[in-house]
Amino acid sequence: MALSTQAIGKLVRRTRDLRQRPRFARGNIELWANLIILSWSAAFMLWQGVGFAIQVSTFFAIWAILAVSLNLVVGYTGLLSVGHIGFFGIGAYAMAILSSDASYEQLRTEAIPTFGWPFFAALPVSVVLAGLVAVVVGIAFNRFRDDIYVLVSFGFAVIAFNIFLNWRALTRGAFGIHEIARPEIGGWTVNGTFEYLILVLVFLAIVVLISWFIVTSSFGRVLTAIREDEQAIEVFGYQTAHYKLAIWVISAMMAGLAGALFASKTSFIDPNSFVLLESILLVSIVILGGLATIWGSLLGAMAFVMLEEGMRFVPFLPAEHIGQARQVVLGILLVVLMLFRPQGLVGKFRL
Amino acid sequence: MSIFSWKRTAALGLLAMLVVAAVGCGEAEPEAPFRIGVMESVTGPGETYGTVAVQSKEMAVAEINAAGGINGRMLELVVEDSKCSAQDAITAYTKLTDVDGVKIILGTSCSGAMLGAAPLAEADGVVMFSGLATNPDIAEAGDYIFRTSLSDATVGVDTGNVLWADGIRKLATISESTDYAEGVRRTTAEHFQSLGGEIVGEERYASDTTDFRTQLEKLLGANPDAVHIAAQSEFTGGTIIKQLRELGYDGPIYADVVPIGTTALEIAGDAATGVKAITPDLDPANAKAQEVLANFKDRYDYVTLPWFLGSAYDNVYIAAECLKKTGDDQDADGFRDCLYEITWSGTIGDNYSFDEKGEVVGLSNAVLEVLPTAERTEENGGYKVLGAAPTG
Repeated sequence: MALSTQAIGKLVRRTRDLRQRPRFARGNIELWANLIILSWSAAFMLWQGVGFAIQVSTFFAIWAILAVSLNLVVGYTGLLSVGHIGFFGIGAYAMAILSSDASYEQLRTEAIPTFGWPFFAALPVSVVLAGLVAVVVGIAFNRFRDDIYVLVSFGFAVIAFNIFLNWRALTRGAFGIHEIARPEIGGWTVNGTFEYLILVLVFLAIVVLISWFIVTSSFGRVLTAIREDEQAIEVFGYQTAHYKLAIWVISAMMAGLAGALFASKTSFIDPNSFVLLESILLVSIVILGGLATIWGSLLGAMAFVMLEEGMRFVPFLPAEHIGQARQVVLGILLVVLMLFRPQGLVGKFRL
Repeated sequence: MSIFSWKRTAALGLLAMLVVAAVGCGEAEPEAPFRIGVMESVTGPGETYGTVAVQSKEMAVAEINAAGGINGRMLELVVEDSKCSAQDAITAYTKLTDVDGVKIILGTSCSGAMLGAAPLAEADGVVMFSGLATNPDIAEAGDYIFRTSLSDATVGVDTGNVLWADGIRKLATISESTDYAEGVRRTTAEHFQSLGGEIVGEERYASDTTDFRTQLEKLLGANPDAVHIAAQSEFTGGTIIKQLRELGYDGPIYADVVPIGTTALEIAGDAATGVKAITPDLDPANAKAQEVLANFKDRYDYVTLPWFLGSAYDNVYIAAECLKKTGDDQDADGFRDCLYEITWSGTIGDNYSFDEKGEVVGLSNAVLEVLPTAERTEENGGYKVLGAAPTG
């Protein structure tokens, strides 16, 4: 079949490119991007004091889990999903509902089911729940690719948001759920911000390890091949649908984990935390850091959080314009980056 | 290639240095002023409210400082954007308390942000004092959490009373799916039902809806005595009023404050005439309130959300009074005790105080009625105040 020889040739060429690109891309920009972001983050944190640094780092870690997990799908497998925030929300709501206690007075005014589970029991269930939803969604999504994939994942984000907003018997709708339980280890509640940071960092490390394991395994190489040329890899007898579904579910579970941690951290969630815009920001972080690089996602998340929070300290702005200025700078930076470095700060591939 | 990348890195580095340098400069004052934090939603969905609140507070501070400060010490605000989200409120809160070291925070404008930061404030013993957050849940948020804004629960109860007093027995409601609008609808319906009224129809819509005809037809099909609108965006509020009248409904319409805002009235036009809204409002006979509005207009060249503007303004003066008593901006406990004891007469009302939950008492909602288009002016906002809402 003409197609197969052609496709195999293409695949071989691409794979060769794969090996060559890193050396080529390991240029100045990559080094400088690392240097600037890391030193700026370190300097920023040192100078603003421990308390603020801890708080910011915690949110960085949560966003980093999200970014790394999304990169598995977008960067490595080439499925541009903008619906990731939906799984984040599922994890968060699962944690909120499972761990909330009937003794919280405000939950009685607009009653939702309460379970009062401890954090470490609710956490795996939240993760599995996000995974289960991902299986169903993923089976449907496997029929699509490229541009259509963006659209259907967009649809998923919108549907998820509307369920959070309108399933009032479960989510309290627009009121949101608050007083979400803090993690407890053997009677000792993780209340301090520092302990919480450690907890989140441990989970981030686990997620990074798992991701690293995946992308360096033969499974990861198949994923990369799917991104480069799905038809060609199918010719070799790989059931790409299975691989795509597997990575989709793994990624969704990681996002669910991030959501559960987020809910417990903020102790209050409402549907506004899970709007489509957050999903777009997340994709921006992944692209900013670089596709198909775990380190890039960490760097992207750090750059994003530092930029957002760092702008709080620009003194010459009138108070009521600080917020707007943050958004403008972020937007400009993304545009400039995409113009001059579409592969992201430390990335190897373009979308 | 390499030249370009050098240029870019140089530019990036320069930018980073500029930012660092710029931040490094703005420190150290010779005479220590009282410093208190402000958290408002300056961007995002609550932007209008947050901006008005910040500007109003800055105006109050400028006045206090121009008059010689508090016991000779100036008052200084540290403003942070908490958006309408718990996450941003938490980082903003930590920045204020940890980096700036403030113990007293005025804000926030969004209930979601308030509920996100309140547990931290409660644990750290930091006072949070809001002029705008209206979610009923905030009442239970803690010992250090205060507000001058009236809980949505009071708006709902007063609306229920007004409906009952006006002889309404069968009510249809339509509400926006946001915490504020949903809170108003819920408490209104509950109180109305407890008085003996019947809810014959209940519809909800998303904030970006533009066509309500199907939902309204459904409501009108149940033959209600009146329709109650709880909206959070003026566009939807105004559109609903307009479409209700277009469908031939000529019965009474009741609403929260949003559907009689300036933009909403522009959209609804003459259809809005006679619509009644139950909401806190500035007393037209209160000279202080009128003066504040005039000053605000002078300073910023616009006036919007007068009640919230006044509430934020009063917060600063109450804070100044308490700082005068405690003489220490780090003494959050003293400040809290002062708030529990204080009785205040300001822009939003006379002789109001705080109960043991930090909820304001002594303020009441007013009943407003929209005027015919010919009589609407910029000064009267397009409505007249019928008086305080009936109680019990």
